Amino acid sequence: MNRLTLLMLAISASAFAQDPRQIIEEVQKRTRSNSQRYAGTLEVMGGESRIAIKKWVFERLGSFGQSKAVLRFTAPAEVKGVALLIVNHPDRASDQWMWRPNIGRDQRIALQDRSTRFFGTDFSFEDLEERDVDQFDFKLLGDEGGAWKIESRPRKSSQYTHSIMWVKKDNYTITKVEAYNKNGLARVIDYRDFEQVKGIWTARTTEVFDVGRKSHTILKFDKLEYDLPLKDDEFTVQALRRES
Amino acid sequence: MILLRLISWPYARKYLLRTLLTTAGIVLGVAVFVGMHTANESVLAAFHQTIDRIAGQTQIQISAGEPGFSEDVLEKVQNVSEVRAASPVIEATVSTDQGNLLILGVDMLGDRSLRTYDLEGADTALDDPLVFLAQPDSLIVTRSFADQRGLRANSQIPMKTMDGERVFTVRGIMKPGGLASAFGGNLAVMDIYAAQKIFGRGRRFDRIDVALQDGVTLEQGIAKLRSAIGPGFQIEPPSSRGQQFEATSRIYALASDITSVFALFIGMFIIYNTFAIAVTQRRAEIGILRALGATRGQIRTLFLTESAITGLVGTLAGVAFGVAMARGMAGYIGGLLEEVYGVSQSGGNIEIAPWLIPAAVAMGLATSLIAAVIPARAAAFVDPVKALQKGSFQSLGEGESGLRRRWAIVCAVLSVIALALTRDTLVFYAGYLLAVLAAVLLAPAMALGLARALRPLLARIRPVEGALAADSLIQGPRRTSGTVAALMLSLALVISLGGLARSSYNSLSEWMRIALNPDLFVTTAESVTARTFVFPASLGEGLRAIDGVGEVQLVRSVRVLVRNTPIMVVATDVGSLARRAKLPPVEGDSEEMYRLTAEGKGVLASENFARLQGVRMGEMLEISAPEGTLKLPVVGIVRDFSDQQGSLLMQREVFVKYWRDDSVNVFRIYLKPGAKEAEVRQRILDAFGSRQRLFVLTNRDLRNYVIRLTDQWFGLTYVQIAVAVLVAVLGIVNALTVSITDRRREIGVLRAVGGTRQQVRHTVWMEAMGVGMIGLILGLALGAIQLYYSVEIARRDLIGIDIGYSYPVQTALALAPVILFAAFLAALGPAESAVRGSLVEALEYE
Repeated sequence: MNRLTLLMLAISASAFAQDPRQIIEEVQKRTRSNSQRYAGTLEVMGGESRIAIKKWVFERLGSFGQSKAVLRFTAPAEVKGVALLIVNHPDRASDQWMWRPNIGRDQRIALQDRSTRFFGTDFSFEDLEERDVDQFDFKLLGDEGGAWKIESRPRKSSQYTHSIMWVKKDNYTITKVEAYNKNGLARVIDYRDFEQVKGIWTARTTEVFDVGRKSHTILKFDKLEYDLPLKDDEFTVQALRRES
Repeated sequence: MILLRLISWPYARKYLLRTLLTTAGIVLGVAVFVGMHTANESVLAAFHQTIDRIAGQTQIQISAGEPGFSEDVLEKVQNVSEVRAASPVIEATVSTDQGNLLILGVDMLGDRSLRTYDLEGADTALDDPLVFLAQPDSLIVTRSFADQRGLRANSQIPMKTMDGERVFTVRGIMKPGGLASAFGGNLAVMDIYAAQKIFGRGRRFDRIDVALQDGVTLEQGIAKLRSAIGPGFQIEPPSSRGQQFEATSRIYALASDITSVFALFIGMFIIYNTFAIAVTQRRAEIGILRALGATRGQIRTLFLTESAITGLVGTLAGVAFGVAMARGMAGYIGGLLEEVYGVSQSGGNIEIAPWLIPAAVAMGLATSLIAAVIPARAAAFVDPVKALQKGSFQSLGEGESGLRRRWAIVCAVLSVIALALTRDTLVFYAGYLLAVLAAVLLAPAMALGLARALRPLLARIRPVEGALAADSLIQGPRRTSGTVAALMLSLALVISLGGLARSSYNSLSEWMRIALNPDLFVTTAESVTARTFVFPASLGEGLRAIDGVGEVQLVRSVRVLVRNTPIMVVATDVGSLARRAKLPPVEGDSEEMYRLTAEGKGVLASENFARLQGVRMGEMLEISAPEGTLKLPVVGIVRDFSDQQGSLLMQREVFVKYWRDDSVNVFRIYLKPGAKEAEVRQRILDAFGSRQRLFVLTNRDLRNYVIRLTDQWFGLTYVQIAVAVLVAVLGIVNALTVSITDRRREIGVLRAVGGTRQQVRHTVWMEAMGVGMIGLILGLALGAIQLYYSVEIARRDLIGIDIGYSYPVQTALALAPVILFAAFLAALGPAESAVRGSLVEALEYE
């Protein structure tokens, strides 16, 4: 779903071990697919142990900077049909639109608003983007527990100043990400319950911890599929309106 | 200080009632001044406070007048690199079952960068903004609003929307403070796109609030935004809003200043009168002081100090009274602004500007000191030898009288000359002042003349009492003239205000006959001036299809900035309007002006717009609009009462092109011959009333509404009239009180030779009514002159419209019994005082 999630599967390539950019390129290569679909369940745990549960269906066509994605909420009933269209670009931030069926309106998500939380979860709108490796600078920080520790700094506009990723050496899956903004550590993302689907290692569970708000969001993947036939014209604003 | 303690204080204590009454004019003048300015400032402060609290971290607001602008401007703004956050806003006030609400429509995704939403309950709604955004019925209200109306999370609030009545759900409650305290807490937040639907805004925003990146100055930000979105938008800090309110409140302030100055002027006469009489009564005392070595300067200072203390006491009382009045006045002004401009002001606190109290004190003190200058001087020049001689010195010296008359003539002549030079504002107001001064200077001589003329009448009514009363007036000009002058000024004010009201109503009626002649009006609110909601233009076709409907005119009225002043732009099919409701031209050819305007080649300007803005026929106007700068010449000037600031009439297509806004505020409907108004009205309601917000007003409904609005405007005028009458009554009481004291010996002699108590009473009553009659005659005469100047002031500086001169005969006729009765009431107390006095003491007096 988000750019970090899509970098989870990796193939062994010891020749790339010491060059962080090449490590990440390998991570991307191992997770590349023509399309993806899954049904996700979100549990948002906020203050006072409050839990909100939402479900959505996610579809993606293409990979990374050449991809488009539609996320459509399916539950609860109050939010069913609300959708988000993400059109990623290889050289700049994505374009995003939200569709609200009850009002019958689409709405562009401004670049300035990408740092806001995504509909009450601990992901931000920016976290839903996929960016190519060329949009970052990387630095290897060392090894830790059988994983490379790599720092990435976005070259273009981002709410984050840098991130630190842990990439497992054996299968090039990303197991943890710490995202920093100008105020310090902003989010911690853990990936677990890895499973191979059509040869791609995928974490079935992703947990995001918002350091400032002290809240968690757990995303669980279900019915995950890769390389299924999806049409390009299903990833447009007009299609969002039609589908509702 | 010693003199004050030994001489002044015993005198004041002895004549305590008179002293208190003397301050009455100061009290009322200061009270009106303080009350009105406090009310004005409080309403403005509440408005600015609301703006500030709603603005949050907003540094720049982008708007394009009332119509707003298309959504696509937002992307242009967001693409400016200097912009950190840009959030669109719709702001509207609605009536709900729970009271008036200021609705803030915002884009919740980005708005939290600008405004702090401090919600209760762990930020429930915005912890899950998806529900808030997904459900268009979502509202966030303030804690104070919720408490007042017993609302909780998930409570429901019905609201009339453009799609009919809808129920809204409270999905969050804001804690007090910050944004939640704007508009007195009567604020609700909803999603902006839901607000567009509710208010019929289509795809338009009212404004965009912007915060800039760190390090970018306001000037840089404004320049970049101007470059990105082009002309036709106001790009300014939030503090620049509110010009329309300030313009209206300035008019109120000016009108109230005139009233308070008049009241103070009248108060000045009362004080002058009292002190002049006091000097006469205390001549012996003054003579003794002078004989013991007191200098003229000391005597003068003594009286001026007495007057200053009197003025100070009156001022302080006036301030207290004014502050007490301010709350009611603020509510009144706020209500009027809501009615006319459609934006509510909540009750709010009263705020007293720091400059106001010192200014009021200065005014009160200056008035009392000026009033006492002449009596103090007279006291200082009292001859000690003559002062110790017994006798009355009531008669005016011929020299003094002659001097006054000469000065009066000089002032009158200069005033007439000034009339010829009325283009110059300073000369005009100087002429006005000179005219009033001439009347005041002539008042004693005219009062004396009228008293002599009234003597036969009074003697005819009651031979003894009437003659005594008239003789008292004739022989006591000093005592009488001040009161007569005060009464004259008060009644002149009443006549001028009454005349203004009468002229306004006459002019308004004529305008309504011509301009408001459709049979039915379809509006979005019961108040036809409210523009919160708008209709889609397509409704016009539906209305035309109703059986009985002959013609439908679409009207869009919006307030836009023209030459930095919010002006009402009225956009309609001018050709159709010209066939049905052609306004009389003030300048220009009637046929030509309407033809050119209908062709989109010009605009019609209202008379008050032309006058207040100094615009002439043929002059090119430039009006900033979202789609560019509209440049059109003024092809005609018409008499139009649509708006106090002025109005421009333009062809609807021109407006749609430049503002990309084809919505409608009002449909004007003319019926087919034979169609019945009530039936067609019901058909419209049956066809559309259930599925959308819609009101159908008859022609009579609208006229009554306009009259009611005008009554509200003049509501404060009636307060001013009451002030004038009250001051006059107090003046009479004061004069009579002095009179009774002055004539104790005379009254004692009258009773000693057989006069009954009732005869004494009648004498006092008739004297009072004589003063009232003289003041009335002079007041009605001066009122005719005062009315001329008031009409001119209204034309020049207040409303810009020539409402015509119409002497309020009915008001004048009504005033006669009122003043005579007031004079009678004023005489009751002094009359009883006169008959209760000891006969022996009275004969020993002096």
